[in-house]
Amino acid sequence: MTTVIMRTTARAIVPIILVVAISLFFEGHNLPGGGFIGGVLTTTAFAIVYMAFGLDFLERGVLGRDVDPGKGPSRDRVVVAYRRLFAYGFAIAVASGLAPLLFGRPFLTQTFRRLEGIPIYDHLEVASALAFDFGVYCVVVGGLLTILSVVGAE
Amino acid sequence: MSPDLAIVIAAVALPFVATALTPLFVRVLGERTGYAGTVVALASFGLLGTQYGQEGTVALEWIPALNIALRFSVDGWALLFALLACGIGALIFTYSPAYMHGQSGLTRYYAALLAFMGSIVGVALAADLIAIFLFWELTSLCSFVLIGYYTADDSSQYAARMAMFITVGGGLFLLVGFLLLSLVAVDVVDSGSAVAVFDLAAMLENPDAMQEALRERGLFLPVLGLLAIGAGTKSAQVPLHFWLPNAMAAPTPVSAFLHSATMVKVGVYFIGRVRPMLVGPEWLVLFATLGLTTMTVCAIMAVASTDIKELLAYSTASHLGLMVAGFGFTSVYGAETGVFHLLNHALFKAALFLVAGIVAHEAGTREIAKLGGLRHDLPVTAAITTVVALSMAGIPPFNGFYSKELLFEAAVEASHYHDIGVLGWLYPAVAVFGSIFTVLYSLRFLSLFFGDRPEGLGHVHRPPVTLLVPPAVLALLAALVSVDPDIAVDVIVQSGLEATAVDPHEMHVGLPTSYSTPVGMSAVTIGVGFLAYPAYGRIHDGVRTLVGGIPPIRSNWWYDTIVEGLTDEGRAFAETVHNGHLRTYATWTLAATCTLALAGFVAAGAISPVAFGLEVTLPIALVLLVAVIGGVAVALSDSHIAGVLTLSILGFMIAIFYILASAPDLALTQLVVETLVLVLFLLVIEEIPESEEIGLGAVGRDAVLAVAVGVTAFVTVLVTTATRPTGPTDIARAYAEQAVPQGGGTNIVNVTLVDFRGFDTLGELAVVALAAISILTLVVMRGRNDDRPTESSDEEPIDAAGSHGTDDTAGGGDE
Repeated sequence: MTTVIMRTTARAIVPIILVVAISLFFEGHNLPGGGFIGGVLTTTAFAIVYMAFGLDFLERGVLGRDVDPGKGPSRDRVVVAYRRLFAYGFAIAVASGLAPLLFGRPFLTQTFRRLEGIPIYDHLEVASALAFDFGVYCVVVGGLLTILSVVGAE
Repeated sequence: MSPDLAIVIAAVALPFVATALTPLFVRVLGERTGYAGTVVALASFGLLGTQYGQEGTVALEWIPALNIALRFSVDGWALLFALLACGIGALIFTYSPAYMHGQSGLTRYYAALLAFMGSIVGVALAADLIAIFLFWELTSLCSFVLIGYYTADDSSQYAARMAMFITVGGGLFLLVGFLLLSLVAVDVVDSGSAVAVFDLAAMLENPDAMQEALRERGLFLPVLGLLAIGAGTKSAQVPLHFWLPNAMAAPTPVSAFLHSATMVKVGVYFIGRVRPMLVGPEWLVLFATLGLTTMTVCAIMAVASTDIKELLAYSTASHLGLMVAGFGFTSVYGAETGVFHLLNHALFKAALFLVAGIVAHEAGTREIAKLGGLRHDLPVTAAITTVVALSMAGIPPFNGFYSKELLFEAAVEASHYHDIGVLGWLYPAVAVFGSIFTVLYSLRFLSLFFGDRPEGLGHVHRPPVTLLVPPAVLALLAALVSVDPDIAVDVIVQSGLEATAVDPHEMHVGLPTSYSTPVGMSAVTIGVGFLAYPAYGRIHDGVRTLVGGIPPIRSNWWYDTIVEGLTDEGRAFAETVHNGHLRTYATWTLAATCTLALAGFVAAGAISPVAFGLEVTLPIALVLLVAVIGGVAVALSDSHIAGVLTLSILGFMIAIFYILASAPDLALTQLVVETLVLVLFLLVIEEIPESEEIGLGAVGRDAVLAVAVGVTAFVTVLVTTATRPTGPTDIARAYAEQAVPQGGGTNIVNVTLVDFRGFDTLGELAVVALAAISILTLVVMRGRNDDRPTESSDEEPIDAAGSHGTDDTAGGGDE
């Protein structure tokens, strides 16, 4: 599917998808969105890159790593990073749940603070749930990308 | 006076703490670790000793919301059992270092032995049904480790598996019995709350009310049966007695511990414990029959044994039968038999096993036929054996005689208490018949030390003193009880009796001074036993031929047949269900799910006629129509790509439906996931063969299955929406109202996911991570089995991922 049309389209839409995904992730607490949807959308962007440019492109073009092209489709070169991503994501989620224990609150208690007088934004709400949501985001992105790259490499 | 919670907890916890420290002990002390165990056992013994004479229940909160506590009850019966476990435990630990000299795996051995002792003490003292079950199954687990100590030995593994299978399985019956008991106890024991009551001590305070409540609900017989199965499997009652003789595969100190003081007596102990609550005519018939059958069958099997440990193992099962029968008789003599024989049996059987260990260790063989005349080589051991073997035989004035006399008395008395018809004389007759065999095999065991020395027996070493002291201590105690049984009665048996008997009275035992029926029965037993002894060889051969000739009367045969049958059936079933075709997997999974769901609805009576009203708005109708067309198109598509694409039409329509139903979050998720799934499908689809010839039968099956799945989904939707309350529920309202003040977010869905129900989300994260890991593992492992060594050698091992990735960010870019 690596046609010129596909590549050109991918170049245009992948950044847009990523920006939308990130905004969905950050706005999730107040508007539709959140870690899960943001994560899946990010994965979709990667999937499009895969489809348009092939599996090795991410490594060679984006990560700048040297890949031996003669070795056939890469099985789990990229996957190592994805694997770490979901492991760390899970660790972040659990750690953000454990943090309240230090303050004598139950596991997974969340809190939030409203910051006033911020330039441009005027006020900003910072919720501790964002850390947990970030964990969700990482697990979803890492997990789905692992599946995608492993299955796609077949 | 009530017992001290701290001391009781310490006595139970000490062995477990020592278990955790065993690796340290082994490192520091090496083979002398056993003596550390002795110290621990003696410490527990001492701690429990300080509670001597106390009575009452103490509790440590465990799960207050469910009314479950680590509740310990101290009374004579509990103390007798716990002290026996610790006392004999101390002797076993003293004996072990010399016996286990040069063996490997000492850490495992001592850790399991300590935990074993701790769980026995736990069962003895626990007064909370859940705690009892916990300790009960712990004993099974520890015994599994101990019986399977020789891991390289097949018979050892076989025996360990069998013991585990039988005793843990029996424990599950016990658990169900406990749950039924706690169900009934809510009415009887006023706990001040609506949750279940697991407080056995409180139940035993109102035994009559409990029994009445059980009978009222029709649960008396089920509870009695379930508890009997649990206790019977643990205490090796016929027909599940066979695991105990097999358990002799364990090292001898373990056998001595297992058979004499502890695990196998847990069942007997528990029968005694609940006796006041459940005693009645059914109780009498059940346990007296069970016990006497076990006693007789196992005594006969002991006579047929060729191995000294096998002989002792069968004799243990036989004596356990005696105790169960004792508790089965409803008269006070029954309780006396049970309590007193538990003590006597522990004293003589532990000593006998230790003697068997010495013989096997020093003479190098355990075969009865090859042993004899050992008194010249092992004079002290011979003296010890004389005391304890005669005690086992029930020869006056040795201590076993007194408790057996009580059994005869209880058997004779049984018909006075309840109208049991022909059983009234059958029970005493069977008791005498079984006891004759007891005399026979006891004499046979004793004859190892007397008579002529066989030719083949080589030089027999003198045992080291640490092997001799433990059985000597036990024999001395047995001799003490023999000389003056009233000492034992005063010290512990009387208080044990008070906990197990319904109408306890002052207990007296002693040598008979005048003729009575039980005395006559004893005379017959001993007389016939001695007279028949010269024919021992013929009886032994006769029983062996009989058992060998007809496999179905051997319980081992039943076990093997059933287990092998299950294995074969399981394999055949697995081959049918898991034959490697994805289609088969899907068929079975979907069919099973549909059957279970529909059967569940039917069983719950949830399916009821529903009036359909068309309240759909035009946009929704339109969207659904497109979805239906998409569904039909999937079925009609002739290529995979067309199928996947049309399937996505269905998914996107559902997303639009969500938007129309004002659920933007769901719609977003559905859209994104649908897109991703489409991409994944397209990636994979090239691998799938273009088309495959499918027979008409398969098409028909698939059609039926498809319809079944559709019906199930349809019915499920109807059922779930029919029971939904109209308007928002309390929970929904609470979430909506609390989202901003408590979570600080205006998106209720997200606030619910991360703030209110964060734990669920965490669980789902684990699922996503697991799915990724399993796909990774499946594909990579399949790759390793391929014949592509050049590529697989290039691959990074899977577990190396976490170890060298400490410095990169979570963003995924590295190196």
